[in-house]
Amino acid sequence: MLVTRDLRYAGMNTAYLEAVSARREDLLGKGVFEVFDSGPTEEGRENARQLRASFERVLREGRPDHLALIRYALPRTSSDGQVRFEERFWSATHTPIHDDDGRVVYILQHTTDVTELEQLRRQAGAARKRALDSILSGNVLQRAESVQETNRQLESERNRLLEMFMQAPGFIAVLSGRTHVFQMHNPAYAQLIGHRDIAGKPMCEALPEISHQAYLSLLDTVYSTGEPYEGRASRVEIQRSPEGPLETRWLDFIYQPIRDDAGAVVGIFVQGHDVTETVLAAERQKLMIDELNHRVKNTLATVQSIAMQTARFHADPTTFAEGFQARLLALSHTHDLLTRTHWEGADLGDILRHETEAHGSSRVSATGPRVALPPAAALSLGMVFHELATNAAKYGALSAPDGRVLVDWSLADQTRRRLRLLWREVGGPPVSPPERRGFGSRLIERNVRHDLAGEVELDYAGDGLAATFSIPLDREQDT
Amino acid sequence: MSQAFAGRRVLVVEDESLVAMLLETILEDMGCVPVGPAATVEEGLRLSADGEPIDAALLDVNVAGRQVFPVAARLKERGVPFVFSTGYGEGGLPDEWRGHPTLQKPFTEAAVRDALMGAMGLADV
Repeated sequence: MLVTRDLRYAGMNTAYLEAVSARREDLLGKGVFEVFDSGPTEEGRENARQLRASFERVLREGRPDHLALIRYALPRTSSDGQVRFEERFWSATHTPIHDDDGRVVYILQHTTDVTELEQLRRQAGAARKRALDSILSGNVLQRAESVQETNRQLESERNRLLEMFMQAPGFIAVLSGRTHVFQMHNPAYAQLIGHRDIAGKPMCEALPEISHQAYLSLLDTVYSTGEPYEGRASRVEIQRSPEGPLETRWLDFIYQPIRDDAGAVVGIFVQGHDVTETVLAAERQKLMIDELNHRVKNTLATVQSIAMQTARFHADPTTFAEGFQARLLALSHTHDLLTRTHWEGADLGDILRHETEAHGSSRVSATGPRVALPPAAALSLGMVFHELATNAAKYGALSAPDGRVLVDWSLADQTRRRLRLLWREVGGPPVSPPERRGFGSRLIERNVRHDLAGEVELDYAGDGLAATFSIPLDREQDT
Repeated sequence: MSQAFAGRRVLVVEDESLVAMLLETILEDMGCVPVGPAATVEEGLRLSADGEPIDAALLDVNVAGRQVFPVAARLKERGVPFVFSTGYGEGGLPDEWRGHPTLQKPFTEAAVRDALMGAMGLADV
């Protein structure tokens, strides 16, 4: 008999009608399970489920499916008018009928009623059983039954394995033959290759960009030698979307040969993980360690410079130690401020307060807007403020009880910001230009001109030092 | 003290002013005339242009976020000897410059003198 995709009768021969004791006009167009449901018992429902599963396998896979032995009860109306279900046993083959596009349109069922054989076997007493078994050519029904059960178990095993492959977080593909034709791949693999249509295509056609890299010849080698290949953090340029640009990814993977029963390689099992994030994180870490090393060495060179130059102006070890330590602390204070912002920058007012608070916060008045300084500028200005404050405490306004320092700053030009800052000392002893330029004033000038590309003017006016700074702040973006 | 360096003009490319000041001090003590210091690669290129009288150079590898190699290439072209100074060590140099005389930060006065002598092919007299 013939059923449609929605499992309705489309046609049948006389033998079928006789086997099921029905009339053709009562069956055509009706649903198979509407007419025959194998009875209202638990066993009957299970039989119907087995039959339906066989039809569905044919629809899904487009291949014939065999039911070596299936119990399927048929309704019989007895002479008293009651309907009883009669136990029957069948052996059936379901074959798909395709249309021109390869779609399954009908299922052909070829079925044989094997009830008599089965009943004979069941009715046989214990004594006659062995003899009967041999009559039934070596227990053919039992074998058929056990083959059927094995098939069912294999089928469910296969489905479970397939499901595990499909849900695996790593990518998996099965390639067959010398040209590495994609037999199967899981969603993780599909995601890796940008969901391109690769099923049934050879590697060179499915993923041309991969084939142009070393991977095709690797596959060829695995296929011809039968030796598996393992790739670690292997770089690949891959298209992540159809027609999209090539993207760099790093993969851990294995090409494992698949062998047939005779031991010959028939395909390759591909399995792996995208480790791009890990590789990039390791690269970032290496860069950071290099950068840290660079900064530490530079800081040491700076400290060395401070030590050597401080030593040139202090013959006495005690005053050398004082001056050296104070400069180290100034550097360290600015480091602290920068660490708070993860070395993104520091605020000008904060730096000024940090470097001058040792002299009494009421004696240095700071007036100006918040100005975020990049790390290099912050470190330089920290040193500059330290030198100015030290100098004021030794010779300037902060050496007199009523002397004060007024610091005012403003930003000119918001697009290419320029800091203008005035450090003015009042109420201190009269000042005059120093006879010999010390390390402090050299350091100020050099820091501003060299590190900050700015200008500074130190005016030793009669009533106190006035230092005027002009410093570009958006210099980094110039290049 | 060696007289070999007397009056030699040595270009310094270094973005940290304190380190630059130290180099200048060391060079002056050796009798050299420091040129610069240049705080950027552009300034380094300007000071190493043809016609600028330079006998040798000390080049910080990483200058204000850029690499000093354009200056190195120009000096090599002119045949002016030079020494890299870096916190990364010789391993931090790209293949093209690997093996070139390199000064490790932080450096001693003796290390600067020896490195310059080696690069200039001078003997201590």
